[in-house]
Amino acid sequence: MPIIPRSTYYDEHYRQTAALIRARQPFLIKNIITGIGICGFVISVYSFTINAVAQDDFSDVQVPDAPAQPPHTPNAGAETSTTQAVLDQQREKTKNSSR
Amino acid sequence: MDICDQLRESNEDDHDLRSGRVFSEFEYPPPRDEEILPNLTNWDTYMYTRDYKAINEARPMRQATRLLTYPITLASVLHELSPYHIRKGGRLTMEGLKSLTALQYTLHPQKDGSGPTLQTSKPKAPPNRIFILGARAESSLPRDVWIQLTYLFPRGVFHLIFIGPESMANRDREFPLPERTPRNPFGAIFEDRLGPQMRISTYVEYFHTLHQAGEFYPYDPYFDCFMLYHPGLGHPASSHDWEETLPQLLETKVPIFCTGYSEWDMERDRKWVNDKVGGEMDILMHPGENIFRSLRWDLNDLDPSDPTCGNWGIWAFRGKRYEATMTDS
Repeated sequence: MPIIPRSTYYDEHYRQTAALIRARQPFLIKNIITGIGICGFVISVYSFTINAVAQDDFSDVQVPDAPAQPPHTPNAGAETSTTQAVLDQQREKTKNSSR
Repeated sequence: MDICDQLRESNEDDHDLRSGRVFSEFEYPPPRDEEILPNLTNWDTYMYTRDYKAINEARPMRQATRLLTYPITLASVLHELSPYHIRKGGRLTMEGLKSLTALQYTLHPQKDGSGPTLQTSKPKAPPNRIFILGARAESSLPRDVWIQLTYLFPRGVFHLIFIGPESMANRDREFPLPERTPRNPFGAIFEDRLGPQMRISTYVEYFHTLHQAGEFYPYDPYFDCFMLYHPGLGHPASSHDWEETLPQLLETKVPIFCTGYSEWDMERDRKWVNDKVGGEMDILMHPGENIFRSLRWDLNDLDPSDPTCGNWGIWAFRGKRYEATMTDS
């Protein structure tokens, strides 16, 4: 065939003709509602997923503060020198447990 | 619509028909695959799903539907996807559902593995006979238009029988009628070259003559139905012609579909039938507007105040059947 057969239901600018709009008219409302339903489902799946894999919020976790002056008495001896290290370890532990 | 607007519109449509422009709306589409279902909700969906050329203006739509209303009205009641149903709003009754289901059993036959070769041929059922009584305009309808009926029923075979004293109206080229011989006792014209699915016969006789001669006996409710296109049952000029035929139609127990020119014409028909044989008939489809009516109003030249619309309304009835019941005796 010299010319590819074109549907007469679309005009030369490929817009829908009046005949096609009339033929679709009984199904318009139901199709729009179905389309909104499907798109709404897609949007809700996307929004739930993005919400679920977002970064966690740790603002409610209480991290104990470092003491202003580490207690440094000559009598404590070995104990006082390891106090800073013990404080560090405790900080690590709280961080690990809240994750 | 105002009277003057309607008169003007009918007149302009008549001028348009004789204007000699290119009528793309009279080019009908070929049959398509069985899987591509037609949608019989209204004219627009039917034309789109059957792939007619798009009719965007109202005037060509009126011209096209004026011819197509005859086969498509018949198809819309008989097809299994018909828009008439037994729920509220669809005008079918339970009796109507029974009759139509019986007809659809033969109109939509199951696939039986038959093919075109001799090895794949299978026994075939007889064709569905549609008796069109009081045929006037519809018997001279171009056969291209009647073939559109068969394109809606992929494996259905039809035998249209036009019966009526005026069934050769506007068919002057086919005169003279064949001789009345013992093989053709009523001088009927048989057209059987219209394809594998359609055969058309024309009898120029009253139906009561043919029925009393037993020409079409037996009538099978699984195959046959009567279609009366605006018969004018209650019309004072023609109702006496129908008086003898009506009881015979009820006796056949086969569904009878009637259309009407307008609402009051159809109501007059229904009242006349009710008065004559009220208790002996079952209503199969309540009277109402035909979804596939002609969208064009034709003027009667002798009486312009009486516009007629081809197949405006449709209703159906059937003779009551008295089933055998068991009694204790």
